Amino acid sequence: MITTFAKGLEKAGVKPNQVCVPSDILFEPAIVKHFGFDYFHTTRGRAIAFGTGLKLANPALKVVPFTGDLMTVGGNHFVHGSRRNMELTVICINNFVYRKIAGKAVSIETPKFSPYSTFEEPFNIPHLGNSCGAIYTARWTALHTEELADSIAEALNKKGLSIIEILAPGPDYYTSISNVNADLVRFYYDNSEIRNDEDPRNVGITPENKIIVGKFTSKERSTFIDSYNAQLGNVLGEKFTPYGIESGKKGAGGKNG
Amino acid sequence: MKADQRDVLTGVYYIDGDVASGYGALAAGCKFIAGYPITPSTEAAEAFARIAPKGGAMFIQMEDELASISAIVGAAWAGAKTMTITSGPGYSLMMETIGYGAMLETPFVLLNIQRGGPSTGVPTKTGQADMMQARWGSHGDYELIAIAPDSPQELFDHTIKAFNLAEKYRCPVMIMADECVGHMTEKVVIPRAEEIELEPRRWYTGPPDEYIPFKPDEDLVPKMVKAGSGHKLFISGRLHDERGYPVDNEHFELKYVRRLIDKIMCNKDKIIELKEEQLDDADVVVVSYGISSRVAVRGIEMAREKGIKVGNLRLITVWPFPDERITELAKKVKAFVVPEINYGQVVFDVARCCHGNANVVLVPHGGAGVHMPDDICDAILLGAKEERKIEKVIEFKTQLEKLVFKGGSKLKE
Repeated sequence: MITTFAKGLEKAGVKPNQVCVPSDILFEPAIVKHFGFDYFHTTRGRAIAFGTGLKLANPALKVVPFTGDLMTVGGNHFVHGSRRNMELTVICINNFVYRKIAGKAVSIETPKFSPYSTFEEPFNIPHLGNSCGAIYTARWTALHTEELADSIAEALNKKGLSIIEILAPGPDYYTSISNVNADLVRFYYDNSEIRNDEDPRNVGITPENKIIVGKFTSKERSTFIDSYNAQLGNVLGEKFTPYGIESGKKGAGGKNG
Repeated sequence: MKADQRDVLTGVYYIDGDVASGYGALAAGCKFIAGYPITPSTEAAEAFARIAPKGGAMFIQMEDELASISAIVGAAWAGAKTMTITSGPGYSLMMETIGYGAMLETPFVLLNIQRGGPSTGVPTKTGQADMMQARWGSHGDYELIAIAPDSPQELFDHTIKAFNLAEKYRCPVMIMADECVGHMTEKVVIPRAEEIELEPRRWYTGPPDEYIPFKPDEDLVPKMVKAGSGHKLFISGRLHDERGYPVDNEHFELKYVRRLIDKIMCNKDKIIELKEEQLDDADVVVVSYGISSRVAVRGIEMAREKGIKVGNLRLITVWPFPDERITELAKKVKAFVVPEINYGQVVFDVARCCHGNANVVLVPHGGAGVHMPDDICDAILLGAKEERKIEKVIEFKTQLEKLVFKGGSKLKE
C-alpha cells in the first residue's frame, strides 16, 4: 500500500519532501522513512484534525492522512473536514471490523471483540464523504494497485478533501507482515466489480453483492483557505492579510524550511 | 528575540482577563489558535479571532475540543506558535492529546479558564478544581508546566510567559486561570514590542540527514524542525528512541520517558516563579494561587491587624511544585494555610513537602464562589494557635459550611 502510495506521488509529480502523512493508530510502518516524507503517528482517529493543523500552519504542504479509525473515533473529523473542504487527501484503510462481506466473516482484526462475527451495518464511506462535501471519492482494493495509484495521483492534485477507501485486511500487530491474510486480499479483489462514476449512493457494501470499486466522484468546490480569504477579505478589506501560498503570503508556521 | 511590532497592541486598556490573554497570545507571536467555544473562556478566543486575521494569524473553530488540540499539535509541528482555549468539560476532552503533545515534546499553550465542576458544573462561575487534572490528567508519566495568573494584567503577561516556557522546554504549558480572573475587568498595560522578550523555537540548523528528532541538548531538551522541510520525520506517540522509531522495552522507557520528567524537574529552579512577602519571621504562611491569592491578601491583612506574624507565598507557577521552598519553610513556621476553590488539591502537595514539620490548614471552597477573607483570617489564627503537631491536613470549617450544614447533616460529622 505504501509502495502504491509512493507510485501515486510520483504520478502526481509531488515531491516526497512536500508531503506529510499523519496517521492514526492504524499503522506505523518504519518503511515510510525510505520514501522521504514526514510521518506522524497521531492519537486514535485524529489524523484529519492533526492534518488540519499541519495544513493551516503551512499551506504549501501536501497532507495525506492515513486513517484506520476514520469512521469510528475520527468520524466527526471526517464529516467536518469534508464540509470545510480542507485540502487533505484522506486515505481510509477499511478492514471491515464492522461487517462480513459477501457472506464471509472477515472480522479478523478484532477476533476477541467479535468472537461470533459481526452483524452491524458498515458506513458507505464514499457516499458519506460526497454528501458532506468531499470533492473526490474513490474505492479500491489493495490489489488494484495501478488504479489506486492513479486515484492517489488524481486526488493529490485536487483542491479540497479527497477520500480514497482501500479495502485491505491489516497484518496481525504482534506478529509480522507475513501474517496478512493473503487469501482475504485476493478475496476482496475477486469479489469486486469496477464501476467508475457510479453514484456513491449505490456503492454501499452488502453481503449479497459484489464490492463496487472505482473512481466515483470528482468535483470542484472552494477550499477552506480560499473561502476564508474571500470572506475575510470581503469584510476586512485592506486590513486583512490573506492567508496561504496562493496569495504569496505565508501560513501560521512561517516560511517553509 | 523581541516581539514583532505588528503583533503588539501597545496601549493602556480596561479589559477582562480573557481578552488580555487573547492579546497576550498575539503579542507572543501566536499565529494559530484552534478552539471550540465554552464558557467562561470564550472571550479569549473571540479577542484573538477579531484581531488575528489582520496580522496573518488564524483562528479556526473546530468541531470539538479533541479536534482543536489535535490541530494545534499539528500546527506546532508545521512551525507555528499555537494555543487552544477551553474550560471545564472541554479541558477533560483534551486530556489524551495533552499527553500526546508531551510525548512528542510539542510546544503549545493551553488556556484553561477554570469553572465550577464536576461535569457541566457551574459554567458561568469560578472554580480551581482542575489543578490536579492539569498535572495528572493524561495517562502515563510526564511533566508539564502550569501557571496561575491572578489578574487581567497577569493574564496578558503570563500568556507570553507561557509561550516562552513552551518553546524553551518543548512541553505543553497550561495557563490555569479561573473564571473570576478571566472575567475580571481591570487596567491592562500592553508595553511596546521592544519591551517584550520572546523565546525563539529551538530550531535545528544542521544538515537534514543528520537530524535526530529526540536527541536532547545539555538541558535535556531536543531541537525541532518544521514538518515538510526534508528531514524525513518519523514522529510517534509510541515510546520511541532518539530517532523517533517505536521501541517497547523497559530500558527505553527509563531512558526516554524519564527524560520527559527530568527536563522539567532538573530545570525547576529556572521555571518556578513565586511571589513571597514577609516570610522571614512568619509563624504562619498562606500558600495560594489564582483568585484565591487576591482574596487571601485581605485575610492576611486582617490577621496582621490581630498581631499574627503571617507571610504570603503566592504560587505563580503551580506545576512543577516548589517542593524545596515549602520544605525549607516548614522547618521555620508553625503552619501553612492553603485556601483553594476546591475540596483539597494543591494543599496535599504542601502537606507532602512539610514532612510533618508544620501543620497544614486547608480552607476549602466549592466552585461558584470565592472565599470570605474572614475565613482565611480565622484559618490563620487557627494555624497560629495550634501548638500540637496534627498528623493530617486540618480542614477549616468556613462560614458557608457552618451555614449550609447547620443542621449537622454533613456525613463526616
